[in-house]
Amino acid sequence: MSSAIGVLETRGMASLVSAADAMLKVSDVEVVGRHGIGSGWVTAIIEGSVADVQTAIAVGEVEAQRYGELISSETIARPDERAQAAMPHGISPMDQPGDQRALGIVETQGLAPLIAGADAMVKAAAVDLCGWAFIGGALCHAVVRGDVAAVQTAVDAGRRAAAAVGTVYATLVLPQPIAGIVPLLPASSGDPARSGGALGIVETIGYTTVVAVSDAMVKAADIEVERLSIGSGGRIAALAVGSLDAVQAAVATGRDEATSLGGLDGAALLPRPDEMTMRCFAGALNGPRVSTARRALGLIETRSTVGLVRAVDQMLKAADVEYEGSYKVGYFLTASAIRGDVGAVRVAVEAGAQEAEKHGELVSAHVIPQLYGDVEQRLLHR
Amino acid sequence: MPAAIGLIEVEGVAGIILAADAAVKAADVDLLGWDSIGGFTTVLFSGSISDVGAALSSGTEAARQVVEHVVSAPVTQPSEPCLSFVSNAVQKDALVRGGALGLVETHGYAAHVYVDDEMAKAAAVDVVEVLTVHNRVVCSLVQGDVGAVREAIARAQTRLQDYPHLMITAVLPQPRPEVLQAFVRSSQGAGSV
Repeated sequence: MSSAIGVLETRGMASLVSAADAMLKVSDVEVVGRHGIGSGWVTAIIEGSVADVQTAIAVGEVEAQRYGELISSETIARPDERAQAAMPHGISPMDQPGDQRALGIVETQGLAPLIAGADAMVKAAAVDLCGWAFIGGALCHAVVRGDVAAVQTAVDAGRRAAAAVGTVYATLVLPQPIAGIVPLLPASSGDPARSGGALGIVETIGYTTVVAVSDAMVKAADIEVERLSIGSGGRIAALAVGSLDAVQAAVATGRDEATSLGGLDGAALLPRPDEMTMRCFAGALNGPRVSTARRALGLIETRSTVGLVRAVDQMLKAADVEYEGSYKVGYFLTASAIRGDVGAVRVAVEAGAQEAEKHGELVSAHVIPQLYGDVEQRLLHR
Repeated sequence: MPAAIGLIEVEGVAGIILAADAAVKAADVDLLGWDSIGGFTTVLFSGSISDVGAALSSGTEAARQVVEHVVSAPVTQPSEPCLSFVSNAVQKDALVRGGALGLVETHGYAAHVYVDDEMAKAAAVDVVEVLTVHNRVVCSLVQGDVGAVREAIARAQTRLQDYPHLMITAVLPQPRPEVLQAFVRSSQGAGSV
């Protein structure tokens, strides 16, 4: 039984991984837990003897500040078992030996720069894209592995490409990562690869905007909306594939639509995305494809459950519409969808918007008279 | 369908636990459960229109003592979908232990692990639940007898003085069982990140 635990909390994953790597190398401790609580705040929990944990935390604190922000850290010399038992941070033991190769992380604010960066990484050098994840507060990270020089080259290229599209929060290269940090990293995705074509990303804040943007994009050009994907901090992105011309036109339309709705966060166009990029970010479908009656869709998005419940109730009472579902984007945003005839949906959404404004903050209210089938199948609120 | 439902929404989670307890004690209402949208949490209860009104004002007042942002409203004659917003329903069959309930809400998980440990060592209390509701809010719930919980919470306050992240502490000497059935469960929240 180990006698002490250490907790180290950072803002950003690059910072946490580099700190964990340093901690595991400097003394005889192991990572026994991780926990994320939103806003990009992530914690690693280590275990070992008191002296080992103290040494590790001291080193970890310094290391964490090199690649991000240290929130706080603590050594608990003799943890109380009852308190530990209630903690939600446990991790399952590794069932496979860790990857020994060098590791690179690019961490960005939002998904659009991350995808652009990831694609640049796999094209710049012989590295494997091992997965991506978001940790709240707009922060997302992608992980690559390969030999040291390749990872270094890839991360440099990734940082430049991501910076051209949006904001890079941190980058990290660990030439020889210790195996114990693997539980902190995102699991790799095993989705089948998609066919080629260009990839366009329009990232918005809020669910209503992304649905409207997707709809505008498929109507503007011959593209498929491949999936809607959550970034972080209320961000949600529509990923479109098709020929370069079509995707270019679609992204331009999507940008305009998102700007007019006040929810554009970023956009990127990858003329020829790598297969690995597609597998990682655009491979999986959102769920079973469903066909629904082509009726108008009404969306109300708020920063308050109270406002939303009042709005939904008001919409159903105002006109002959049906409630279809709700979706939480995170970061205080929540949306509800209704269906009905165009006229009824318009009346209902207007009534709902007025009601939502009275209770909490209305983010957006939108009516799409006829949704394209492609978008219909990607909706997240059912 | 109930005649009315009441909703109270606050930032963080400690505020709605206090609101829920005050609401069910104030009037004849049924606690339905709670919901989180990543930062804001909402408690929902049902009853007659006047009971819901009374419960709302007591619950809102209780929440205002610890948080600034409180939004509340009733829905009279609610339509069916209004009840679907209860994502964490009261577990009516769940066994709950008696005793007082202590709440410590912080920003940051490392500070939290530390303070939970301190509380467990300070007095005979158990950490019965740790709720993380996104936006870096972590709230831990401890139970024990009133004296022990008071002592543990006092220790938490002392220990977290140096941290910039302590938000709320509170002691409920005698929480209603349905409040515990709603909030004391394992691993819930707006989603892990």
